Amino acid sequence: MRPNLTVQIGSLTLKNPLIAASGVYGYGLELADFCPPESLGAVILKGISLTPWPGNPLPRAVEAAGGLVNAIGLENMGVKAFLTKALPPLKARKAVVGANVIGRTLDDYAQLAQILAQSPVDFLELNISCPNLAQGGLSFGSDPDQAARLTADAVKKAGDKPVVVKLPPLVTDIALLAQKVIDAGATAISLINTVPALVINPRTRRAALGNVTGGLSGPPIKPLALRQVYLAAKAVKAPVIGLGGIFSALDAAEFIVAGATAVQIGTAILADPGSPLTILKDLFDFFSQENIPSVPSLRGTLKGPNEP
Amino acid sequence: MTQNPTLTRRPISQTAKVLSLTPRGKNLYQLTLKLATLGPFADPGLFARLRSWGPAPAAYPLLDRPFSIHRYRPNQGELDFLIRPVGLGTNLLTQCRLGDPIQLLGPLGQGLGNLIPDYKNRPFYLVAGGVGLAPMANLIDQSKGPNHLFYGEREGQSLIDKAYLTSFAPNFTAVSEDGLGYGEKGLVTQSLKAALERERRTIFACGPQGLLAALAPLARSYGVNCYVAAEAYMACGLGVCLSCGHYLVDGSRIRLCQDGPVVDGLLMDWEKS
Repeated sequence: MRPNLTVQIGSLTLKNPLIAASGVYGYGLELADFCPPESLGAVILKGISLTPWPGNPLPRAVEAAGGLVNAIGLENMGVKAFLTKALPPLKARKAVVGANVIGRTLDDYAQLAQILAQSPVDFLELNISCPNLAQGGLSFGSDPDQAARLTADAVKKAGDKPVVVKLPPLVTDIALLAQKVIDAGATAISLINTVPALVINPRTRRAALGNVTGGLSGPPIKPLALRQVYLAAKAVKAPVIGLGGIFSALDAAEFIVAGATAVQIGTAILADPGSPLTILKDLFDFFSQENIPSVPSLRGTLKGPNEP
Repeated sequence: MTQNPTLTRRPISQTAKVLSLTPRGKNLYQLTLKLATLGPFADPGLFARLRSWGPAPAAYPLLDRPFSIHRYRPNQGELDFLIRPVGLGTNLLTQCRLGDPIQLLGPLGQGLGNLIPDYKNRPFYLVAGGVGLAPMANLIDQSKGPNHLFYGEREGQSLIDKAYLTSFAPNFTAVSEDGLGYGEKGLVTQSLKAALERERRTIFACGPQGLLAALAPLARSYGVNCYVAAEAYMACGLGVCLSCGHYLVDGSRIRLCQDGPVVDGLLMDWEKS
């Protein structure tokens, strides 16, 4: 029997649990020849702000420790161009589209939520965890009370759009942060964003990135991400979307076992733009071979090595 | 202002094979691939992503590496790259064995033909710094000329094999900063300036950013066009990661991987990145 891979994120039904993460899938059509946006459960577009942002100085990306450290700085076209140029062709293809929302102040997030509430985007992802901003971003995600306030304000303005909150990896208590944003009205949480990082050339005594520090993504952060997803999923009843170093269907399955309802694919898309389709096919095969009928039957089934 | 807002060609993902790997000087290799699928690789300045190692995360590096197309022989289904091993990816690529599979994604970006459709019939001054020599061969191979190549290396001992250079570039001036090797001592910009004094021609250049930046005032003072194949660290080469964003003088931004790598050098803001 063919497994049923549909998943539910609040009112939103995704045809499969694979979501293109924000930042690696552009504005949704650049990679369509390799991975059509409508083939995935959803695609989350490049983080979007009220006005266009120029991003950080070059260089913006460098490999390290088997992963990628980036400090793009959320360069983006601004919400106006996003709604008029990026969104219409994507919605015409019947893709499920998430808008990743970024701001420097609490009010930025609320204003964007209000604008996007009137748009055809299917859901919002509040990015309170980007490590590459001087103001805003990560600072909101590091403080559970501020994160809750930001979430409550945005949810109020977002109308009937589901609101996902994207959490950072390095916080004192990920369970508490998860609870606070869900209690504040978020539909779901996604975690983890990149891990704050620094790459140095010791001969020149220079940082590799124009922004000096950046965020580490890719295979090295997967174990860290799994642990945070596991702890967060135990703390909340709402859906958890897991991400961090997913390069294969088995990686995706690990996140589901840890408690994720859906997963996002990020850096793997940069290494191979067709990778989400490979992962999707392999995920169907995995569910079939393991006789798992659906995602909920696998979700949160983690046991210790000596548990019966 | 974005120069080229739409992608005019689709990149092809394919597994090519190593046909030959020929040393072309100290620490410089010509990698010839046998293509499985032909594509529009001819436009000078286009590039491709290469990977001779397995897929991530089992094999490193994580990402493919971008290289300018050196020469294209569609009738033979052969594509050349000029590679100088400087890091992990370039070292692996220049240690390939004949017949090894190479994952190739390309062509990527916008070439010279996007800005000058009749580039084959135009006279050029070609300016190459270091391994920036790569795309110049592609233009010379197709050009009905006349053109003259100004090619410089910091160290004369790094100059490409002279017989090979002569085989594709009938008219060249080679220079090095230390005056060693077969090059004259000096900078390509000095040789170019002397040539511009004699005759004005459009410039097509590829090399380090310092060189490309130095060409803009020179081109302006002689009233000639200056097109450059620029480079930047990039993760995707497909326009999504925005690692290679660059400012234009009007304050707008382009992505070198998609709106370039060949751009009008006079529109680039070389001071600001």
